[in-house]
Amino acid sequence: MKQFRIILNFELKHYIKNKAFVGITLALVCVIALVIFFPRLKATFGNEKGEDLPEELPLMLVRAEKEEDGALVRELFAAAFPGYSIELTGEEDTAIRERITSGQAECAVVLTGPTSYRYYVNNLSMYDTNTALADEVLQNLYRLNAMVAEGLSPEEAEAILSAPIEHEITNLGKDQMQNFFYTYIMIFALYMVILLYGQMVASNVASEKNSRAMELLITSARPVGMMFGKVIASCLAGLVQLLAIFGSAFVFFNLNRSYWEGNAIISSIFDVPLNLLGYMLLFFVLGFFIYAFLYGAIGSTVSKVEDVNVAVMPLTFLFIAAFLVVMVSMGSGSVDNTAMVVCSYIPFTSPMAMFTRIAMSTVPVYEILLSVAVLIGSVVGIGVLSAKIYRVGVLLYGNAPSLGAIFKAIRKA
Amino acid sequence: MARLSEKAKINARKESLSGGRDGRPKGHNRQKGERSMVLELRNIEKSFGEKKVLKGISFQAEGGKAFGLLGRNGAGKTTTIRILMNVFPANGGEITIDGAPIDYRTMPIGYLPEERGLYPKKIIFEQLCYFAELKGLERKAAAEAVDFWLRRLGMAEYRNKRLDTLSKGNQQKIQLITALAHNPRIVILDEPFSGLDPVNAMLLKEVVKEEIARGKIVLFSSHQMSYIEEFCDHIAILKDGRVALTGDLRAIKRGYLRDRLVVRTTESEAVQKAFGENCTLLENGDLLLRMASDRDKAAVMKHLAETYDIDEMKVFEPSLNDIFVEYAGKAGENEK
Repeated sequence: MKQFRIILNFELKHYIKNKAFVGITLALVCVIALVIFFPRLKATFGNEKGEDLPEELPLMLVRAEKEEDGALVRELFAAAFPGYSIELTGEEDTAIRERITSGQAECAVVLTGPTSYRYYVNNLSMYDTNTALADEVLQNLYRLNAMVAEGLSPEEAEAILSAPIEHEITNLGKDQMQNFFYTYIMIFALYMVILLYGQMVASNVASEKNSRAMELLITSARPVGMMFGKVIASCLAGLVQLLAIFGSAFVFFNLNRSYWEGNAIISSIFDVPLNLLGYMLLFFVLGFFIYAFLYGAIGSTVSKVEDVNVAVMPLTFLFIAAFLVVMVSMGSGSVDNTAMVVCSYIPFTSPMAMFTRIAMSTVPVYEILLSVAVLIGSVVGIGVLSAKIYRVGVLLYGNAPSLGAIFKAIRKA
Repeated sequence: MARLSEKAKINARKESLSGGRDGRPKGHNRQKGERSMVLELRNIEKSFGEKKVLKGISFQAEGGKAFGLLGRNGAGKTTTIRILMNVFPANGGEITIDGAPIDYRTMPIGYLPEERGLYPKKIIFEQLCYFAELKGLERKAAAEAVDFWLRRLGMAEYRNKRLDTLSKGNQQKIQLITALAHNPRIVILDEPFSGLDPVNAMLLKEVVKEEIARGKIVLFSSHQMSYIEEFCDHIAILKDGRVALTGDLRAIKRGYLRDRLVVRTTESEAVQKAFGENCTLLENGDLLLRMASDRDKAAVMKHLAETYDIDEMKVFEPSLNDIFVEYAGKAGENEK
């Protein structure tokens, strides 16, 4: 235990005193400060009178089928596209296309019949919803004209078409839209920290072997103490970095809360429930241990630091696969799909999968307990196995041995 | 200020030359009974998979004496040392101290591995303290011991520098501190003199002699036979995982056939002519005379003394190198 404490202390100092560690953490804190203070700075220095300059909207050209419908068409398009400045035009298609390609206008809707139109745009964006909106406008126009033809006044017809609908939502579980952003950020942080620090553990072990400091270490300390000391130190360093980054972001946000009130996404990120932070910590630590132990064990089997990246590749792919399953499920909105439920009990994927399900869905307590129990059992098992691989691996020099050779050596050592 | 600094340097030098015993950290001075300590390896066996690396290694090393563990590459020296250091267990046999099984919690061992290496980017003092603490010293005691050894080896000025800023020889001295700082009762030195210049080699010799004089068991593993001959009272030569020869070095040498004479004479040519094929001219000008039997040596010596102008005459004793080649195997033989 004393040796473990000494190793933990030494390894932790290695991270905390590392200039890159301190520099990157400070740089990230500065970037976060800049982003969160930006609205305040803009309000203070951007405009001395404190008035917002009117924003120039992109131009949308609209050509009606009949000239007499021009005013109504313009009115309907202006209501449907508040983000555009609508200009009614009578120009030919060629002139319209020219104005778009020259950058004068962003897009154009040319009505060619009561239920048809041509849409001109320079670059069709992935997220372009203009055609869907224009479909709706044309549909309304068609219905309006039909109603007027049937004898209703235009006002009556419009009142029928735009009758206000009221609805009330009673959410009995989680609001995925509200939870999406902070869950996304937390999963991403989990992914980055495990990947970065896991690889650091592997490089650290390999460099000790490379510099032959290992010859002294193995005769000075027990491999289990060395492995646990290294992994827990890197886990603590990762936590310190996360705490510094998220803690400072939280403090900066609270100093500037009033400037961000209009932004629902940013506000939702900082409204993380406390119990979710607890789960994040739990799954971060357990997930970190699983991967860092394995990274350490793999690092012990290579003789040169430059061989580490190749050796850890299978493990990194496994981790990326787990990350992709979670990300795709989050994106599709079905976080309780079969793949996610299965992944919630596999120790390599459960830290991210179960955490996402807890954050974005309602998971029964017994499922959470089962997942955590499997994870804790796996951490202990993988920790002991990794220490054994480490003990054998550090004494092997030359080409990286095969997995079979390592297990054979463990059995016979 | 300059005078003070100069004085400090003189004191450090004096301490270094005097052996530094007064400056040793508490508890590091020689303890009663250390000399009588006997380390014994009995029938140690070790296999890695199907390969049997050690096939019953047995030898004894005594406190206050240096022991030379010799053998060609692959003979089993490093495996023996690693078992002795408890890096991995033996498949059979026993290691005892004064007849009782060795207890690693109470029997600190210092080790200077052949493959040198510490943390190149870390501060020397910090990493030395780290290793001393891992070996069981408290933080304060570790710092005191490290400071003592840095002074003793003339390395105090590098205390707060990174290891990779030092020359190879100085890095080796730093490595030696990791083997000695925790005041081990058994010190294992694997090729301790390789890479050292003559001045540093002499300093290391002084230090090793001090450790031997303090009752410690110093176990040498080296291919430089001259150092083994200088330090070691007992040796063990390993060959193919077995002890090919072990015992008191002087007794081993005496036990050799005494059928050759080394003669220094002004009448070299005449002696060579008289003894023919049985006489060889050595590199230093001496003559090596081979006799039919060691029982003839008195008669031959008498004849030489009466017939020729002899400056010096003695029975030829083989060097450790000769013994090593004979027992460990000649080049190309059993090379693993």
